[in-house]
Amino acid sequence: MSDLPFLLQGAVVTASVSLAAIVLGVPLGLALAIIRWQRVPLLSQVVAAYVSVIRATPAITLALLIFFGSPSIGIVLGATPAAVLTLLINTSAFNCEIWRAALIDFPRDQLEAARAYGMTPVLVFRRVVFPQVWRTSLPALVNEMTLLIKASPALAVIGIVDLTRAASRIGAATYKPLPPFLAATVIYMLLVIIFVTTQRLVERRIRQRFNLA
Amino acid sequence: MDSGAVRDFAVEVRRLSKHYGSLQVLSDINFNVSTGTTVCILGPSGSGKSTLLRCINFLVRPDEGEVYLHGERVGMKNGGWMTERDLCRYRVRMAMVFQHFNLWPHLTVLENITEAPVHVLGRSRVEAVQHARTLLNKVGLAEKQDVYPHTLSGGQKQRVAIARALATKPDVLLFDEPTSSLDPEIIGEVLAVMEELSAEGMTMIVVTHEMGFAREAADMVIFMDTGRIVEMSNPEEFFTKPATKRAQQFLQRYVR
Amino acid sequence: MSRDFLIAFAHYDQYLSGLWNTLWLSAATLVLASVAGCIVAALMLAPHKIVRLPATTFVDAMRCVPFLLFAYLIYYGLPELSLRFDSWASGLIALAVYHTAYIAEIVRGAWTSLSREQIEAGRAFGFAGLPLLGRIILPQLFFASVPLIGNQSIYILKDSAFLMIITVPELTFAASSVQSTYFVPFASFVIAMLLYWLVTLVIEAMVKRVELAAEIRRG
Repeated sequence: MSDLPFLLQGAVVTASVSLAAIVLGVPLGLALAIIRWQRVPLLSQVVAAYVSVIRATPAITLALLIFFGSPSIGIVLGATPAAVLTLLINTSAFNCEIWRAALIDFPRDQLEAARAYGMTPVLVFRRVVFPQVWRTSLPALVNEMTLLIKASPALAVIGIVDLTRAASRIGAATYKPLPPFLAATVIYMLLVIIFVTTQRLVERRIRQRFNLA
Repeated sequence: MDSGAVRDFAVEVRRLSKHYGSLQVLSDINFNVSTGTTVCILGPSGSGKSTLLRCINFLVRPDEGEVYLHGERVGMKNGGWMTERDLCRYRVRMAMVFQHFNLWPHLTVLENITEAPVHVLGRSRVEAVQHARTLLNKVGLAEKQDVYPHTLSGGQKQRVAIARALATKPDVLLFDEPTSSLDPEIIGEVLAVMEELSAEGMTMIVVTHEMGFAREAADMVIFMDTGRIVEMSNPEEFFTKPATKRAQQFLQRYVR
Repeated sequence: MSRDFLIAFAHYDQYLSGLWNTLWLSAATLVLASVAGCIVAALMLAPHKIVRLPATTFVDAMRCVPFLLFAYLIYYGLPELSLRFDSWASGLIALAVYHTAYIAEIVRGAWTSLSREQIEAGRAFGFAGLPLLGRIILPQLFFASVPLIGNQSIYILKDSAFLMIITVPELTFAASSVQSTYFVPFASFVIAMLLYWLVTLVIEAMVKRVELAAEIRRG
């Protein structure tokens, strides 16, 4: 089956594009959430609108807009940067809401104590808020990561040969689409399982140490 | 009470006022706290006691008035309000103990105590840990240094909170109803620590409902009602011969 | 740029046609998946493992698979087994089957978190069988699951866009067609995005009304 290497190549593309978007998207989401949490004038309204629109936009539509639409506003993007940017913009909007939910629920008592002990706002966030907030947001963030992987086939429309497109090409060439599709399904499942299992392990450690569940 | 020729006030409060919308929470508060003394602030709920305490370390910004810490003006700089960053320098000199302990759950007991000294005051971790251990010993919780707060009882948490407050070697200790969240049997262990601190000459401002503590440990009692100081005297006078009607009414409910 | 928007706007009929198809597909999927989802949820909660296992496996499998891949499986893969559907039918089947799994999971979750006490109280007061189901259980199930199913309908709306790849003439397909004919890519897709956004806002508003009704009852 010389098709397998081609399929795996597609899997690598899927994994790397997704990973790039995830790695950038989690902190970007946090930055957006902080802007809204701190009610930065003007900027928080802009972020709110951005998040609302992006969360409503299908990945395919966003990919088409970014790849074909960006030259109209003066930016020329290759397929891969456009792909990462699409997933990044998409996931940052969802991550913003995830982080924001945790920040809003954060107990004021602890903030008060930190301020009373002379901690600057940056210090309060770094030492008191963040260490706890990332742990409570973890399940939702990982869930979003799996959703990102499941949205990644949209990138096929801008020329990225990801796992789905690779499987579809093999199928078109061999007139037997079922085997490569099923193989691709298995590989996607594996990717999702890796994320979910890692999350479960981390959660267990958190519960044992801090009883923060 | 203050009688010396040298004016040595740890905290001075002048004409302090605060309102939230149309609600006047504090009106024209004036008092001084001499170094090494313990001041207890008493009064019914809603009298503004907690807000007053929070105006002293500027967790809440007063609308009018001034606060001085050892002669230095707190809260204003060069004619304008201080930023949070400037305020931090003052706050760390006025450590606060809260009604609900407010310990940080993701840090161990020891880490809770060393957090401010290391990250706000910039002390070395070794020095801070040593000092923290001494303080834990003092409050009777030496063996709990590596546990997380959620495993402790209310009284233990509050004693850790007091150790945390002492770790920054503050000029003034502020207590906001420190025993109001505790079971009656446990209140004693916390009050014992507070009485010891008072006897050792710590400058303390304590908002409390514990009349026994006020009677025994306070050098001055301030009685507040609806945002004003109604009566201010030493505990002897206040508890045996309250001057105002309001104070008399209040004490009747607590007379044993 | 504004000229581009004017050009795109001039072809509003294509957008509306695409939007109509998107809405039609999404609504049909919602109805089919809700009904099927309740059935599958019931199977997942059945006492016998031989009934539970296929249902739970189905749901778990759908939640691991990307939707587009599943749509491909239906459209390109099934013909290999001599099951040929046109793009419309494939699209609808893919959407409905896929989201049946998600709705089944929602309903199952709502069922397991139902307040046991209230059902017990219902039985103690003589409710049984159909009245118990209709007056006590179903209303609670409804209020618990509707917000989540409302959210799921937004996912259905977004997944429908994938179908443009198998040439179903929904909204994104329309936008793509306008852009490739008149060379107004930015304007064209921005309009599509705004239309998706509008529909989403309407769905969210409706969900809020149900949540408010639930709030009133819950207190």
